[in-house]
Amino acid sequence: MIAHRKNNGLYELEGIIQQYGARTVLQVDCLTIDPNRIVGLSGPNGSGKSTLLRILAFLEDPVAGTVFFDGKPCSMRQDAVRKKVTLLSQEPYLLKRSVEANVAYGLKVRGEADTSKKVAEALDMVGLPAYRFAKRSWHELSGGEAQRVALATRLVLRPAVLLLDEPTSSLDAESTQRIKEASVAARQEWKATLVVASHDMPWLESVCDSILGLDDGRLVHQAPA
Amino acid sequence: MDFILDGLQQAFVLLISGHEETFSAIWVTVCVSSMSVAASLAIGVPLGFLLGYARFPGKRPVRTIVDTLLSFPTVLIGLLVYAFLTRRGPLGGLGLLFTLPGIAIGQTILGSPVVIAMTATAVESLDRRLNTTLLTLGAGARQILLTTLWEARFSVALAAMAAYGRIVSEVGISMMIGGNIKWHTRTITTAIALETGKGEFAMGIALGLVLMLIALLVNLAMSGLRKKVEP
Repeated sequence: MIAHRKNNGLYELEGIIQQYGARTVLQVDCLTIDPNRIVGLSGPNGSGKSTLLRILAFLEDPVAGTVFFDGKPCSMRQDAVRKKVTLLSQEPYLLKRSVEANVAYGLKVRGEADTSKKVAEALDMVGLPAYRFAKRSWHELSGGEAQRVALATRLVLRPAVLLLDEPTSSLDAESTQRIKEASVAARQEWKATLVVASHDMPWLESVCDSILGLDDGRLVHQAPA
Repeated sequence: MDFILDGLQQAFVLLISGHEETFSAIWVTVCVSSMSVAASLAIGVPLGFLLGYARFPGKRPVRTIVDTLLSFPTVLIGLLVYAFLTRRGPLGGLGLLFTLPGIAIGQTILGSPVVIAMTATAVESLDRRLNTTLLTLGAGARQILLTTLWEARFSVALAAMAAYGRIVSEVGISMMIGGNIKWHTRTITTAIALETGKGEFAMGIALGLVLMLIALLVNLAMSGLRKKVEP
């Protein structure tokens, strides 16, 4: 019998253990993430932030424990759940096609045919005007522009959950600011839940409702920002 | 030396005048090699994707077998296919011996390992972040397959051209399975072998020039694609 939850948490993690080979990289006994919140993840490199985000994105399943999403136990095999959650990694990958085709990809996967208006809106959100950038090829973008296009490919989907893994590291000031603004706009415009891993503590403290501290794969503190 | 120069001169005359026998061999070659490349791609691309993308027990031995098949001698393929298609063979009832589809079967066996190996290498060498990106954008298994192949499209096209180059230049399969029948199964390579043996250099040289032109076009297309792969 499948256990269903009636709590208000969007995510509830119970007894999560993740191992790569014999090495335990994450061990979270209990964690709840409420909907329409911005949650920060802080901690040194190798503390398990990216692993936790990949589990929350249903890109990998833990070796032990259960991830409840919207009250139901979920795994990476459930395409329908994966479509509600999207992850932007530190060094995102752009498909070898135009900016417009990259941003429209997720919409087309969802069966949407008329994508141009949504694509233009998403590009505007990240400060890349469609008339200048839509037809550009993937290799004609700077690092900061590529990162902003990658964020637009996620924002255009209006995901219930937006997971950001060090989204502004090694970016110029303008791209960093645009990404920060666009991420926060996701909550304001369609009440997305955000989980953000970053070393930028001032940013986390200014936008997050709570910040989780990770060290050596364990949650070491959980506090309001 | 004179007979070579004479042969070259006559070869141009044959090509310019549209000599029927010469153009019959060219047409047969184009038809049968197109069939073979299409079949090699239909078989090789999905199998190459699986070999490059999936993890399964015995993957390494399978890869070794595919790589070994890359250097499969054409006369051995011809012998095997002949044994199956001959009247006494298990597929003799199909009447495919000395026909173009018969040659195409042999050439597909020749071309498929090229496509499988090169597609597998192309998929393996794709950026590891591609799969994560497709999953996080909500792609299902079929969409992952198609998008991954599309990302590797230039490399898959290179595989098709490499297979075409191997197929169009082989002689063993065409000779053994096709039987080198004039107007029917005589290809460029079998015609060159026959005409040279008869001392008819002109037609051999004319067909050789066409074969070199095809090889040049394939090479030009491949170098153009390489530039697109690495912009």
